[in-house]
Amino acid sequence: MVDPNKLKEIRTHKQSSIFFGVDRMPETSRLFCGSSDFKVYELDAKVEKAESQAFTGEGHTSYVTTVSLTGSTLVSGSYDGHLAWWNTEKREFIRKVKAHDKWIRMIQITPDGKTIVSVADDMLIKLWNAESGEKLNELVEHKPLTPNEYPSMLYAVTISSDGKLMATADKVGHIAVWDLAEAKKISELEAPVMYTWDPRQRRHSIGGIRSLAFSKDSKLLAAGGIGKIGNIDHLGGPSRIEVFDWQAKKRVHEISDDKFKGLVEQIEFHPSGDWFVAAGGDHSGFISIYDAKTGKVIKQAKAPMHVHGFSIIENWERIYGVGHNNVAVWTLADA
Amino acid sequence: MRNNFCGSPEHGVSRRGFLGTAAAAGAATLGADMTALDALKSPAMAGELKRKQKNVILLWLAGGASQLETWDPKPGRPTGGPFAKIQTSAPGVEISEMLPKMSKMMGNTAIIRSLNTRVGDHGGGAALMETGRAREQGVQHPDIGAICARELGRADSQVPDYVSMYTSTEGRRKGTSGYLGSRFAPMFLAESMIPQNIRRLETITDVDHKDRAALRDLLAKRFTRSRTSSTVGSHTSAYQRVRGLMASEKLFDIEQEPAKVREMYGPRQFAEQCLIARRLVEAGTPFVKVARAWWDSHGQNFETHQELCADLDHAMSTLLTDLKDRGLLETTLVITLAEFGRTPNINPSLGRDHFANAWSMSLSGCGIKGGTFYGKTDPDGQTVVDGETKSGDVFATIFRALGIDHEKEYHIGARPIPIVDFGCKAIEEVLA
Repeated sequence: MVDPNKLKEIRTHKQSSIFFGVDRMPETSRLFCGSSDFKVYELDAKVEKAESQAFTGEGHTSYVTTVSLTGSTLVSGSYDGHLAWWNTEKREFIRKVKAHDKWIRMIQITPDGKTIVSVADDMLIKLWNAESGEKLNELVEHKPLTPNEYPSMLYAVTISSDGKLMATADKVGHIAVWDLAEAKKISELEAPVMYTWDPRQRRHSIGGIRSLAFSKDSKLLAAGGIGKIGNIDHLGGPSRIEVFDWQAKKRVHEISDDKFKGLVEQIEFHPSGDWFVAAGGDHSGFISIYDAKTGKVIKQAKAPMHVHGFSIIENWERIYGVGHNNVAVWTLADA
Repeated sequence: MRNNFCGSPEHGVSRRGFLGTAAAAGAATLGADMTALDALKSPAMAGELKRKQKNVILLWLAGGASQLETWDPKPGRPTGGPFAKIQTSAPGVEISEMLPKMSKMMGNTAIIRSLNTRVGDHGGGAALMETGRAREQGVQHPDIGAICARELGRADSQVPDYVSMYTSTEGRRKGTSGYLGSRFAPMFLAESMIPQNIRRLETITDVDHKDRAALRDLLAKRFTRSRTSSTVGSHTSAYQRVRGLMASEKLFDIEQEPAKVREMYGPRQFAEQCLIARRLVEAGTPFVKVARAWWDSHGQNFETHQELCADLDHAMSTLLTDLKDRGLLETTLVITLAEFGRTPNINPSLGRDHFANAWSMSLSGCGIKGGTFYGKTDPDGQTVVDGETKSGDVFATIFRALGIDHEKEYHIGARPIPIVDFGCKAIEEVLA
């Protein structure tokens, strides 16, 4: 029986590199991870002392920040600007395409598995045929420079569970909601608190919206990042989530958590719509579960590492998190 | 009186204080009309400046820039971070892709990749790299700006000898002339790039001001006719120097530049300050420090360096181009330096911490063999494996590049103090 109050860490797998993104073979604990050593790995998280297995082949030339499965094919995105396709059974590289001129921050694949959406620091949103790698569309919305004339970053993209909607978000807290089939912007929201510009002490910025998630009924859109930071040398600001009724353009929750500081790297709504999971960190990490109706904490825990991403098994009994030199497994049921 | 010639509100310039200090410091005599500031209006004067005057622009990367994201990239290593390296215009010299504009300017630049200065706290590291030696009980050593002001400044200069700009508040340091005295202390600009309190008082007309100066000159000449004291002479020169400084306000005003030049430097503050630095050295200021804070990226190092490297890359490449186009690069040494570099190891906040054991700097222009690098770190950038360089070696190299005798000594009373710390030597490999 899944119960968010039963959140508990049950296993960790130490890694020699940083895992930034994760996806999971459906109905299994086989994880596929993008790594700071420019490689893609597979790891079976239910196996005690499991060793991660590197994929072979040409691959990437920079951090692999995002991975997503389409059938048995894995697609990865990297700071080298390339999307790469991988055979998960042979753990082999298939091909890659030059997708963006700057860092790819995140990819998502539509529920039908046919379309990949990528966002990158060239501030472009690109749609790709998931099978052929052909570019289908390119959307321009997010400004390339911050208000202070520095390069901006396009961190986050999410697709609704019915595949009809997409949302994208950038460093300065601008969020666009899209009709995915029409490739047309239908709403925009702002979360400027996620962006801290220090004009006096240190004269640079930090922050940005790092995660987005629609509720299963697509009515709510949650954006995660970090709140205002006093000393931007560190990720010392409160972890922050803003939940919007995006159609009404109304912010329904502002969750600012001083207990667990740092960036909210990923958010996922429970299918019931009653609660959602968020994880991230600063020098350490956290995993938190919030009530979607009240915005209050249901349960939270310190993570064994800064969490960069997670995957939740279909029955919601297990959460597989990846991050700084570690993979962690949490349970939401009796262990 | 220490450092009384500072631009910050809390240390506003006191003319009376300045005069007293300058006179006491024994400034050399001069006879120029200090109100005729703009030497560049005279081609002959400008030519002489170009021939004789050597200048320094120090780009101080306060807080500690990452050598791995600038001059000593290690892509593909566990410590390397996400950025690639790029080939520069100098064969065999590769730098981080975060400096694409500078990669085309390396013909004028030498990189030193083997600094091992060991001091990993901001205050101690900055003091070490500013003075070229460890702190010493009972002696306040001058910083490099003060030494250059003393060695390169002209007695008849109508402009400040040492200007230091540090706008951000974090890690702000004003610089020190130490035992050289306030004559060589920096004109320190923090809150505004236009020096404060050097304008003529509004209650005095310009005519009155000139008349007062003429009367003072007349009386001073009568007074000095039968006297040979150097103190009297320096008192007169101090007044003349202040007239020049009062007229130097326009040097700090980039609105005086053509729109095309301002556009070239762009709207960001660091680049605008580099433009002021160029205006100052063009007018004869021997040492200008432009501090860009704050590189102390304990969290989100790569995001931070995307902003700050963009600043450095644009401002530095534009400055070098501008200096070159004006024929000033061969007489102007442009330095990038900080208190230390950053750790090769990447922490859980994707940051890099303080690291003084293996880091980098650059030297461009005057006296430098461009397109070279010196020193080597191990494949992960954890240690220096060739050409270990101390802060004093950096000073010796800078002085040699500028034609300053780096073996000379100053004296505090009878005690000789070499301007470069004992046992340090210039790096011949980067000198032209």
